[in-house]
Amino acid sequence: MTLLAHGVGSRTDLPIPLGLALYGAGAAILISFAVLLLFWRTPRLGGPSSGRPLPTGLQRVLDSPVFRRSAQAVALGVAALVVAAALVGPADAARNLAPWALYVTFWVGLVPASLLLGPVWRVANPLRLLHRGLQMLGLRVVVRSAPGAPRLAALGVWPAVPSLLVFLWLELVFPARAEPTTVALLLLGYAAVHLALALWFGEGWFARGDGFEVYSTLIARLSPWGRRDDGRLVLRSPLANASAAPVEPGLAAVVVVLLGSTAFDGLSRTVFWQTGPGAANDTLSGTLGLLVMIALVGGLYVVGARLSGRLAGRPRDVQARRYAGTVVPIVVGYTVAHYFSLLTLDGQTTWVLASNPFGLAGVDLFGTYGNTVDLTAVGPDAIALVQVGAVVVGHVLGVTLAHERALLSARRARASDQLPLVVVMVAFTVGGLGLLFGF
Amino acid sequence: MTAHRVGIPVLLTTAALVLAGCAGTNSSSGASPAAAASASSPETSAAGPSGSAVGTPAGQRIEVTVAGGQVSGHTGRVPVAAGVRVTLVVSSDVADEIHVHGYDLTTAVAPSRPAELSFDATIPGVFEVELHEAGTVLLALQVE
Repeated sequence: MTLLAHGVGSRTDLPIPLGLALYGAGAAILISFAVLLLFWRTPRLGGPSSGRPLPTGLQRVLDSPVFRRSAQAVALGVAALVVAAALVGPADAARNLAPWALYVTFWVGLVPASLLLGPVWRVANPLRLLHRGLQMLGLRVVVRSAPGAPRLAALGVWPAVPSLLVFLWLELVFPARAEPTTVALLLLGYAAVHLALALWFGEGWFARGDGFEVYSTLIARLSPWGRRDDGRLVLRSPLANASAAPVEPGLAAVVVVLLGSTAFDGLSRTVFWQTGPGAANDTLSGTLGLLVMIALVGGLYVVGARLSGRLAGRPRDVQARRYAGTVVPIVVGYTVAHYFSLLTLDGQTTWVLASNPFGLAGVDLFGTYGNTVDLTAVGPDAIALVQVGAVVVGHVLGVTLAHERALLSARRARASDQLPLVVVMVAFTVGGLGLLFGF
Repeated sequence: MTAHRVGIPVLLTTAALVLAGCAGTNSSSGASPAAAASASSPETSAAGPSGSAVGTPAGQRIEVTVAGGQVSGHTGRVPVAAGVRVTLVVSSDVADEIHVHGYDLTTAVAPSRPAELSFDATIPGVFEVELHEAGTVLLALQVE
């Protein structure tokens, strides 16, 4: 039985050098105040109607049902292969395609894919295709009514919170997470639950309740691809795209869960955790650690957002939701910092194992099955630079978006009103760098 | 049209990234970590918990003992300079298999036969060494 260490993967990153951590923290703090005091004083990122439209022909293709069903069919085929490999492939997790494909290539790979190409999983989500299939298979009575559909809009993206929490707990805490059987049950269970909920709530469920789709869409706010308020697909600056993205109920909770879970993953790699609170290395300590980190991030965020709102004389209960989108770059920065090396180094395993998904003698589809993973493909200096760079850039984009958001709320917003939220963002960034430094 | 033109480099970059991630290293073209390692189980080995990991010009000796599920000796995070030859000696009161993650080295250990693994620490990073069956983490090598 092989349990892969801390999530999945054969290695974890070296602690970043102290000097680099301090430079990163210093830069984050300096730039934060520069943004408040020196940046623009009127909103200027461009609203929902900004952007350069794509050619109509291209949009017609990208929006066409044929394109979407084809992408979904391909994704469904790959997902079916991964489930089959999990069920009948090699029992050893280190030699089974499924855990690597799910936790590394799909879950981590969704980040660069969504940053570069937009909300890819909304387009390629195979559950949408299966949902259509169920409709055609005679479940029309239930489906046509979709009794829960009218209530869905009010829920915002709240339904994605349990979906993400369950996945993150399985990925980061559950001791048998890497076992092929776990992966198979997770994927099949995920499909069954979300298809049932989609029958009740209608196809709109996937955009609000499917954790993978919500995650991809959230990250795609920082992609250059957006949809203008007149429905046209446009190319615009990632900052304008993030600024124009809608403010939805539950967005703050999704952001907090993602940031808190990444922070827990960082914490669980530190000597402090491994010899202290997490020394038992069991389900209980992991579960508590995950919940405490999410609660800590959530508490800090809500306090910062509300204090800023109070200084500016805004109603406090909408503040957390209004500014949630501005934390997305910090989430993405954290995620890149923690998982860049996993994708580039251990991620090679997926491509090696894909050459023989069922571990059969003599099968080598791509001629890569005999290859070994090159764990020196990216050096420790490059990894440390990417880590600190991602955290600091995420921080700068977050503070900039929050500044713009404050100016959108009140044209004469004082810079000092934004201070509490900026201080919380600095705390996230310094805390994130501290986790990478490993205390 | 400008928009379209920007989209293509993005797609190409992604494709390049994906392809770059495909390969791994062809094991026949380079020495795999396992090839540089030797595993043996000497009959006489006094591997007890004793002071700190010993670093000599010849390499670094790391010794741990497992007794009653408890690990003692050079446990926790053990720093190793990159390129140094590491000799890992494990004594255990139960039969199991030692697994060095990342370097992907394994060797058997039994109550009467301490395990000894020697390898060059050529891959930087933090790597766990564990008892395969029990899942017990013995130590984490920090190669830098």
